[in-house]
Amino acid sequence: MTYKAAKVVIITEKVILEQVAEVIEAHGATGYTVFAAGGKGSRGVRPTGRAAVVDGFSNVQIEVITATHITAEEIAVDVAERFFQNYSGITYLEDVEILRSHKF
Amino acid sequence: MLFQRNRWNCLMELLLDFLSRFLVQFQTPALAFLVGGMLLAAFRSKLEIPDAIYQFCVFMLLMRIGLEGGLEIRDANLADMLLPAIIAVVVGIGIVLLGSMVLACLPGVKTEDGIATAGLFGAVSASTLAAAMVMLEEQDLVFEAWVPALYPFMDIPALIVAIVLANLYLARKKEGVKAKTRIWPIISSSLRGSALSALLLGLALGLLTRPEIVYEGFYDPLFRGLLSILMLTMGMEAYTRLNELRKVAHWYAVYAAVAPLLHGLIAFGLGYVAHILTGFSPGGVILLAVMAGSSSDISGPPTLRAAIPTANPSAYIGSSTSVGTPIAIAVGIPLYVALAQAVFGV
Repeated sequence: MTYKAAKVVIITEKVILEQVAEVIEAHGATGYTVFAAGGKGSRGVRPTGRAAVVDGFSNVQIEVITATHITAEEIAVDVAERFFQNYSGITYLEDVEILRSHKF
Repeated sequence: MLFQRNRWNCLMELLLDFLSRFLVQFQTPALAFLVGGMLLAAFRSKLEIPDAIYQFCVFMLLMRIGLEGGLEIRDANLADMLLPAIIAVVVGIGIVLLGSMVLACLPGVKTEDGIATAGLFGAVSASTLAAAMVMLEEQDLVFEAWVPALYPFMDIPALIVAIVLANLYLARKKEGVKAKTRIWPIISSSLRGSALSALLLGLALGLLTRPEIVYEGFYDPLFRGLLSILMLTMGMEAYTRLNELRKVAHWYAVYAAVAPLLHGLIAFGLGYVAHILTGFSPGGVILLAVMAGSSSDISGPPTLRAAIPTANPSAYIGSSTSVGTPIAIAVGIPLYVALAQAVFGV
């Protein structure tokens, strides 16, 4: 038996990870997952495995699963408004199916 | 006439002596690996140094420098440290003020970008300092054990001044909306950075415990080899980041090429004063100049990025990593060593 839920994906600079996490938690999300990310975007190429001499300038991908689509949207909009003027980043939503609905 | 010619000969001899010493410095392994890294990146080599190895190298170098300092500080007279520490603070703040004013006058430079760049050049690079220490040890130039501990005295004030200046400027631009700059978060984020944490822990362990066995058996023997890997990585990074510098005003490249040597020479001059007044060692004067000439590469940039979000990181990281650091290591260190040999006759 699966339930419908929403997932917000935020790819941004590692240097603001803690601040983004605060925003996510402020919206009542119960948890999130962080991966090291790399790739190419409007602000240049970010390496994945190669040594980044400048610590904190690599990218991270943060994934949050929320019970409702509305919460997911609020998180995405809030993060984009607060940070993406000055920091590089993208964010998008996905519909997902979850197993244990009480976890979210 | 004869007297004049004699003086001329003497001056030429000094200059030639200086140049030959300068050339010898270029053959040291630290510089060779730095240039090698740049060549690899220029030829688009697939060689990559993994991030974890790089972080490990930084930790090892700073821990070794800290342990050695801590072990030797036990018998040192710390009162001697006072004047050089004051000079370090003054130089760190002076560089930021001077750099912000100069950069603000140049065309195509946004004021907060200029302030952030000056802040980075005022802060200190741990890897440049490590390279200089190895080069001094190779040539038996002695320095006081506490000299590496001057690092935070220059680094932290420079970052604080840059961040305060930028916030004052941004607040004035917004008119009335006064954003209060809190100093403590800047200090704690600097102290928590990977380089300074390792250095300070090393100092404390060396001072308070008996780490001689690990120091002699592990940290000290690995120091030089790991430094060569670090220099290779920095060379590769310097070349890769040149692209970013191309996107911002050309004046950044000019500043980044001139500023390290100017800052180093100012600190060398002040260090010389300390040498005369309190007998600060020639090796110490060189290291003080190296610190002033270096620009922070590990912990400074994230601190600035978090505290001055509107400043363009391509401008300050591009100038420091791709031009400032190679110049500080490849030209600066040999210059101060050769200058010290000429001035102090060591």
